[in-house]
Amino acid sequence: MKQNLKPIPVTQPWTTEFWKAAKDGKLMVQHCRACGANIFFPKKVCPECWSDDLGWIQSCGRAKVYTYSVMMDMVEPKFMGDLPYVLAMVDLEEGIRMTTRIVNCNPQDIAIDMPVAVVFEDISPEFALPVFQPADESLRLQAPDEAPQATGQDAPTGLRPENYQTILYETGGENGAVCTITLNRPEKYNAINQRMALELVDAFRRVREIPTVGVVVLTGAGKAFCTGGDLEVFPSLAEHTSSLNWLAHEGLDVQRAIAGCEKVVIGKINGHCLAGGLELALACDLLYATESARLGTTEINMGVLPGWGGTARLPRSMPVFRAREIVFSGRKDYTAKEMYDMGLLTRVFADDGFESGFAAVVKNIASKKPVALRMGKEVMARSVDGCDLETALAVERNGIQWLTYAPDIQALLEQFRASPDQLTRTQKQSNLQSDRKG
Amino acid sequence: MEKSSIAIIGIGEVPTGTYPHRSRWDIIYETCMAAVKDAGIHKNDVQGVVTVAPQAQPEIAAEISFGKIPEELGLRGCKDVCICNAGGASTSNCLRMAEQYIESGLARFVLIPHVTVHSSIPAPDLINFFAKAGIDLQWEYPYGTTYNGIIAMMTRRYMHDSGTSAEEMASIVVSLRKWATLDPNSIFFGKEVPSVDKILSSGMVSSPLHKRECNVLADGGGAMVVTSAETASQMGVPAAYKLGESTRYFSAFTTTRSTESVTTGFRDATREALADAEVSKEQIDIWNVYLAYPVGHPMFMEAAGLCGPGRAGKVFLEGHTWPGGKMPWATIGDAIGRGHTGSGVSMATYIETARQLMGKAGARQVPDARFVFQNTSGGSGMNFIATVWGRANKP
Repeated sequence: MKQNLKPIPVTQPWTTEFWKAAKDGKLMVQHCRACGANIFFPKKVCPECWSDDLGWIQSCGRAKVYTYSVMMDMVEPKFMGDLPYVLAMVDLEEGIRMTTRIVNCNPQDIAIDMPVAVVFEDISPEFALPVFQPADESLRLQAPDEAPQATGQDAPTGLRPENYQTILYETGGENGAVCTITLNRPEKYNAINQRMALELVDAFRRVREIPTVGVVVLTGAGKAFCTGGDLEVFPSLAEHTSSLNWLAHEGLDVQRAIAGCEKVVIGKINGHCLAGGLELALACDLLYATESARLGTTEINMGVLPGWGGTARLPRSMPVFRAREIVFSGRKDYTAKEMYDMGLLTRVFADDGFESGFAAVVKNIASKKPVALRMGKEVMARSVDGCDLETALAVERNGIQWLTYAPDIQALLEQFRASPDQLTRTQKQSNLQSDRKG
Repeated sequence: MEKSSIAIIGIGEVPTGTYPHRSRWDIIYETCMAAVKDAGIHKNDVQGVVTVAPQAQPEIAAEISFGKIPEELGLRGCKDVCICNAGGASTSNCLRMAEQYIESGLARFVLIPHVTVHSSIPAPDLINFFAKAGIDLQWEYPYGTTYNGIIAMMTRRYMHDSGTSAEEMASIVVSLRKWATLDPNSIFFGKEVPSVDKILSSGMVSSPLHKRECNVLADGGGAMVVTSAETASQMGVPAAYKLGESTRYFSAFTTTRSTESVTTGFRDATREALADAEVSKEQIDIWNVYLAYPVGHPMFMEAAGLCGPGRAGKVFLEGHTWPGGKMPWATIGDAIGRGHTGSGVSMATYIETARQLMGKAGARQVPDARFVFQNTSGGSGMNFIATVWGRANKP
């Protein structure tokens, strides 16, 4: 995420001492030896008497909160991963006021006049920002030596499910095998903005690390699955580089995160699934929709084309003559049944049977071994990507051979070697269960 | 000022809106031609053009800086041209520059245009501009400050000091939007005025600021023609006469600005501008306040002595500032109600001052408006320029 690097302070020759000291864990205050003034922001000459006889005194690091704000939204992308964060102005005992952040505490515990103490947060190899934590240790979330360090160049975005704003991320199901990621901007019909793109990438990468999860359900809150890019993004597309980055950074990252997620990603489509929303769906492995869902790609109505994989994945999902109609027509009223007939969807459910039918599908697939689902996804992805049949068969053969000799399968087989009949009986039982569930 | 110096005699405006496909020059043509026509003069009578610097639009700013407006509009009588940038206080400085042109004899009529098209600026550039404008790159920006964030901090402190409730703060937005819905040039013209509950239930952006307490960036443009007060009187046209002015500079950044300096500055500059105009605060018919976010309004109302300390929230909540109220206030709804056009809100506010005094304010017209107080403020609240305008020249 190098494009989201945090800004470092733009220094002046007379402020370098301050930042050197901050990197060493000291908060310095500029001091005028001529008139005794403590100065902030540091200046070239004393703003009170214009003396250049300036030096530094070390602050005791104690301060009181003058005011603060919990930042929740509408910040630059480079700070989005920090949300929510607490901006504050604090009054140091040395009589100066700083803008800073309050860290290492619950925002609800912060109050005006609360005593705070300085700590330092590394933001780059050269810079550490003075930030403040509650002086009262009982209000701190972590002891200082446990606090997260270094948010520098290779730091992650800071996104976590707890601070997602545009999606919901929940794991559950039997044995924790299902993760549900819900596009959660129902008032905007789950339109995709930059924040949502970042959060989706984070969520789909995060879920890869959970070994119990075999299935990820991608769905939308409210009346729509997703209606595509948020109009708030559109003005930025007037600029060539921004437009390319929206496609090549956010767009490609999201597609890769979904398609490359090692879980089986199941799209649950209700309401409208349009433009970029349909492209999110196209990156999924299975797609189930309600009869009342409406799908389409509308980009051509603006004189452009689907840019998050639509022109690549639609022709790979159905006969090309049908895919072309979807792209060229700009229709947004394709019914789920029409799309199914054209070859796109896995299955269409009557609206009133959607939840139960979908739950049964998920339950069944989630009951399979995650490692088998992962291998299946990988093997079939290579196959549909257009390699020759012999290569596809080799990938399949070797993939299955690997699975067969995977340690947990071998542990089961150990029991069956002694009793081949038991293997047959167990297999039959599993087959029947899958039929009933699915 | 010893006597009235200048008067606004012509105004032109495009409604604030979203015009990504409209060129800035198209808007400049429309507003300037409307203002010249409204003034009842010929285009070649314009002898000076002093333009409000568009923010975050370097190309158009450069074109204007290098004298394109008189050439484009064929202002054959133009003797000189310049651009003024003091953020939201730019228009006040354009008026001062126009005053200098006029008093020095350089120009009889001066055109003051403004244009902003936010919607064609790439969103990342726009966010980046507003994250840095009036925000220090060394001591504030690295912490993730935004305009909303610094105003939110001011708001929290004001609420703490004054005891103003969240409902009272939201009622400021209600008041501003009540004017905006009556304003054909507002982005919210004819739109439902949100209730206090609706404002408080909108998403939190930077606590305690909710989404509906923040500004919507918009596109717009306006232009004014000014001349000497004497000429305006001789022409016998409806005009807004500048009667008094005073100003205070505070600081470039919110971190280094004390609340005391701001409230004292509000009070003193207002007092001095009124004295300059020889008008008492009781004579003011409209308080046309431009402070961009809600919090400045009660701070100013209290500092100027228009209500008791900590009472301003109640004045807004009780509706005294609404259309028909006893204290008509910010009659285009400030940036919250009009839509934020960068430095253009100050232009829109001056145009409104003129419109009210000319009797052209339509549904918002305050009956028999004779005196209007108007302020501007630039940057993140770096200064406060107080002016008093009248329907007639000083005797």
